[in-house]
Amino acid sequence: MSPERQATLEAKNITRLYRSSGRGVTDVSLAVDRGEIFGLVGPNGSGKSTLLRVLSTAIAPDSGTFYVGGVEGIGEKRQARAKLGLMVDRPTHYGDLSGWANAFFFARAYGMEEEKTNDVLAELFDYFDLAEYRDDHAKTYSYGMGKKLALIEALAHGPELLLLDEPSLGLDYTSQLAFQRKVRELAGAGAAIVLASNQVDEVEALCDRVVFLHRGKVIAQGTPEELVSSLRGVKRVVATLRNPVEYAAVGGVAGVERVASEGRNLVMHCEDRPGVVADVVGALVREGGDITDLSVRRPNLEDVFVKLTGEALRPDEA
Amino acid sequence: MRLNPPDAYWKKDVALFFSRRFALAIKMIYPLAIIVPVAASGIPARYAAAVVGIVAIMAGTFGAGESLTNDLNDGILARVALTPLSPYRIVFEILAVNAVLDLLQLLPALLVVYLLHPVSFAWICAATFAVFATLVAANCIGVFIANFTSSPADVLLYATAILFPLIYVSGFFRNQHPTGVLATLRDFVPFAYANDALRTVFGLTNGTTPLEVFAYPTIICAVLVFLVCLTAPRLLSQRL
Repeated sequence: MSPERQATLEAKNITRLYRSSGRGVTDVSLAVDRGEIFGLVGPNGSGKSTLLRVLSTAIAPDSGTFYVGGVEGIGEKRQARAKLGLMVDRPTHYGDLSGWANAFFFARAYGMEEEKTNDVLAELFDYFDLAEYRDDHAKTYSYGMGKKLALIEALAHGPELLLLDEPSLGLDYTSQLAFQRKVRELAGAGAAIVLASNQVDEVEALCDRVVFLHRGKVIAQGTPEELVSSLRGVKRVVATLRNPVEYAAVGGVAGVERVASEGRNLVMHCEDRPGVVADVVGALVREGGDITDLSVRRPNLEDVFVKLTGEALRPDEA
Repeated sequence: MRLNPPDAYWKKDVALFFSRRFALAIKMIYPLAIIVPVAASGIPARYAAAVVGIVAIMAGTFGAGESLTNDLNDGILARVALTPLSPYRIVFEILAVNAVLDLLQLLPALLVVYLLHPVSFAWICAATFAVFATLVAANCIGVFIANFTSSPADVLLYATAILFPLIYVSGFFRNQHPTGVLATLRDFVPFAYANDALRTVFGLTNGTTPLEVFAYPTIICAVLVFLVCLTAPRLLSQRL
């Protein structure tokens, strides 16, 4: 352990490529301080989950190293694991045990005392509205309830570093808000949190800093404000179309900087000049587009990603 | 001692064992259903002993291997492996608790055998211990196989491939009076000692003493458990 190390998580030049596909992450370095919420943003296959697998000690990197609370994560796995809280993207449980028994087992596996475990779990089950279902078999839980149980398992032992992969995907709105409040509370208490997600609204609302991953590499890093401010003077126009159209002509409209398809939506970044929206709509209609919805708003992290890569963050979503 | 909610891996396995009531009933009944009619019949002692031995081997091998691959496929075991628990300890607990639970399944049937074929207390203890050693060895084979496949069906296939020669060498059906290399190999297979002890219970005499039935399988199983525990980091790693 090196005494000058301050960050709770420090990853240096992590490379991990899957032999079968050649995908993974390449030369990723990042540092997350105590009390910081750090967002990993990128489309499916960008390397978010691979990076989290490495940082959770599930797989070893091909090269590079990382430290969790000053403990080297490759050579001292068990010590590093004791400092980690982990929620994987598709959480599973022992279905024939109750939700409470699952959470109790994990809390004790992290070395919590029995009395404290009971107190903490009672509070968390209550907080996430699972108290009523605590004695039900985990296999009877809905997807959202399973995610909340996985969150409880990740949080209960008060980890120094929390790794969360798509934590709020599948949660209802109330649970998402409860989750966000809890994450802020934990960060306020000093935990470092890494949140991998492509839910940009959540990332913008929660994260102090964000890193964009694209094809396994870090392409940008900064606070959400810094990243979005790089698009100052740009409008985000989203048109929902009933039918797919050839949109190359829209890209030729004066002031349109880029066009990207996201399912049935066409997202256009335009110069902030009078009349640009009318020109865009005109071009779409001329191409035979039947617009069912149209919105014009300030750019967000998703637009920053599109600007950086020319690709959509969530290409499959309507 | 409270088992549920569990605060250790082995307690979790015990809690799961007793929580699946229908499966539990089947597990407790099928050894009785197979072994008791055999014990009550007049079939030759060596075949009666072979049936009990084969049931023990199958229960041990398929039980651990199949449930392990299920947990591996499910991802839950990989998640448990990311806690600070020692992977070696997890695998040791899997082996130990599965062997004990398997013995629990076989115990009622064994008790019926002892009632129908009374022998000295020393041989009752030796036979019970030999069956336990068989279960430990069989569980070791099941866990070892789980290192190489994530398919429960493959576990059955690989287990059959490994068990056939071991069953042959142990002399359950053929190889009754081995000599040379086969005799030497037989000494290293724990199943052989269970076969000898069960034959004695069913009324055959052979040269094995109760002390040998306790001593040699203990040494062999300790080595097997140690070797299988060494595979823990690989076994519990994420399958990509």
